[in-house]
Amino acid sequence: MENYYFITKKMCVGYDNKPLIKEMELALPKGEILSIIGPNGAGKSTVLKSIAGQLRLIDGTVYLGETVLSEMKADELAKKMSVLFTEKLRAELKNCRDVVATGRYPYTGWFGILSKEDELIVDEVMELTHITDIREKDFDKISDGQKQRVMLARAICQEPEIVILDEPTSYLDIKYKLEFLSILQEMREKKGLTVIMSLHELELAKIVSDKILCLKGEYVERYGTPEEIFASNFIEQLFDITESSFGGNEKFLAYIRGIKATKK
Amino acid sequence: MHKNKKCRYITAFLLLGIGVLFFYFLNVCIGSVRIVFPDIVRALAGQEINETVTRILWDIRLPRATAVLILGGALALAGYLLQTFFNNPIAGPFVLGISSGAKMVVALVMVFLMGNGIRVTSAAMILGAFIGAMISMGFVLLMSRRINNMSMLVVSGVMIGYICSAITELVVTFANDADIVNLHNWSRGSFSGMTWENVKVMAVVISMTFIAVFLMSKPLSAYQLGDAYARNVGVNLRFLRVRIVIFSSILSACIVAFAGPISFVGIAVPHLVKRFLRTTEPILMIPACFLGGSVFCLFCDLLAKTILAPTELSISTVTAIFGAPVVLWIMIKKQK
Repeated sequence: MENYYFITKKMCVGYDNKPLIKEMELALPKGEILSIIGPNGAGKSTVLKSIAGQLRLIDGTVYLGETVLSEMKADELAKKMSVLFTEKLRAELKNCRDVVATGRYPYTGWFGILSKEDELIVDEVMELTHITDIREKDFDKISDGQKQRVMLARAICQEPEIVILDEPTSYLDIKYKLEFLSILQEMREKKGLTVIMSLHELELAKIVSDKILCLKGEYVERYGTPEEIFASNFIEQLFDITESSFGGNEKFLAYIRGIKATKK
Repeated sequence: MHKNKKCRYITAFLLLGIGVLFFYFLNVCIGSVRIVFPDIVRALAGQEINETVTRILWDIRLPRATAVLILGGALALAGYLLQTFFNNPIAGPFVLGISSGAKMVVALVMVFLMGNGIRVTSAAMILGAFIGAMISMGFVLLMSRRINNMSMLVVSGVMIGYICSAITELVVTFANDADIVNLHNWSRGSFSGMTWENVKVMAVVISMTFIAVFLMSKPLSAYQLGDAYARNVGVNLRFLRVRIVIFSSILSACIVAFAGPISFVGIAVPHLVKRFLRTTEPILMIPACFLGGSVFCLFCDLLAKTILAPTELSISTVTAIFGAPVVLWIMIKKQK
């Protein structure tokens, strides 16, 4: 497998031409997991939307392999990158399997009818993501956690090289959080899937990521391996946590220290 | 595809097809002069029957029923496109003021041409209606950028509709012409007075639009998921939106040009059809909506002709009676 890189050069993102984060220089080898962490409102979703080509870059370039992302044709990009955003997917009268199958869109013909092969892939992916038991259920009637897993299946079904996930584990309970992330790791090992996602759970970011991007303020706060990021007092700084934050509650402070201390 | 689903789709399409045929022939048979079915078959086969009956059939009943079939289908399809576009279950050409915009321009064109003694052609009517539809659509689109609330969007559409209707009324009142009666009837919505010439034009325009819409069914299905996901699977959203706007305007324009504004069909039929098929897949919904619209309008036109015969009701009177409850039902369901 060739070494495939996700690279940004002087990327500047924001809404309505107002820069939010400037001069982002990121590089990620194929098959690595990048987590974005940072306080609420730091621009995690904005960065993800920009990377996914859903939001026009204010400045700079994003490369997928050798190709400039903004120069790729929409249908080509669709076969390389899939997304799972916090934006709700509308699925009136669709069951879970129908929703997963929408991931096959870039591969179907003029009328979007699934081939035998497509059907097989859909079933396979549902197996992989452990949602075969809810395949016939109405998507609108399942829980948010189940929805999230169906959405992951949909994204994988698109057979991407890179997947962009915005807070994918938010609605999941601890078992499914771990399961969700282990599926990503499995995909990375088996298919060399590259993952870029935002995570709220620092302790999870620490154990699954190869690289971590910290956002706060106008420029990239820090970008590096989990070991680098979780060393010293950086996390407290990033989230503005001081000794007095919790009225000096020892248990809370111990929790913060715990996140930093555990070895990978 | 699941076997149950396939069965459901086939049954639904069969029933819709039978419904269209049944009401089509009922429409041809029933009227001030009753024509028996065997006579229709004979007439269609080119055999000799009573002269009056032949005239009634060929000059009045058949073109009218054919027009209702085509325009009814187009109306439901226009409603379906607009509902998909705005992701709004109660959008339709009538509530969004698109029909009224088309009506306004057509009235202006008619009054101007008639006033100058020029014959109004179908093409001029459609063109006028299309311009009017696009003007209203433009307003609605401008509003939709400013307001994200779906009921407010409908309210603004209704307001645009009122403004356009007021202007139309004004024009009709001041147009001192013998054709005023015609104009008045038309502006209330009616399928009467269709000629084969009209039918030919609408058949060409609507069948071409239908094919174009049907070819969009794949991107439309992705569009239904939401913008972010549609874009992610490679849909060119801007191009798709432009096409939806143009095609729904052509359909609405064609209906208004020939039959005037007709209410509720555009909202009610796609919903009934969706419940019937239990899917939102455009590839099924597009043809099913067309057939559903045909059945609904053929049924309503039959009532419009017969309830108070020989006086004819305006078609919107009837479509509102059957369509408005559906809209209420949709809104109650939405609240749950």
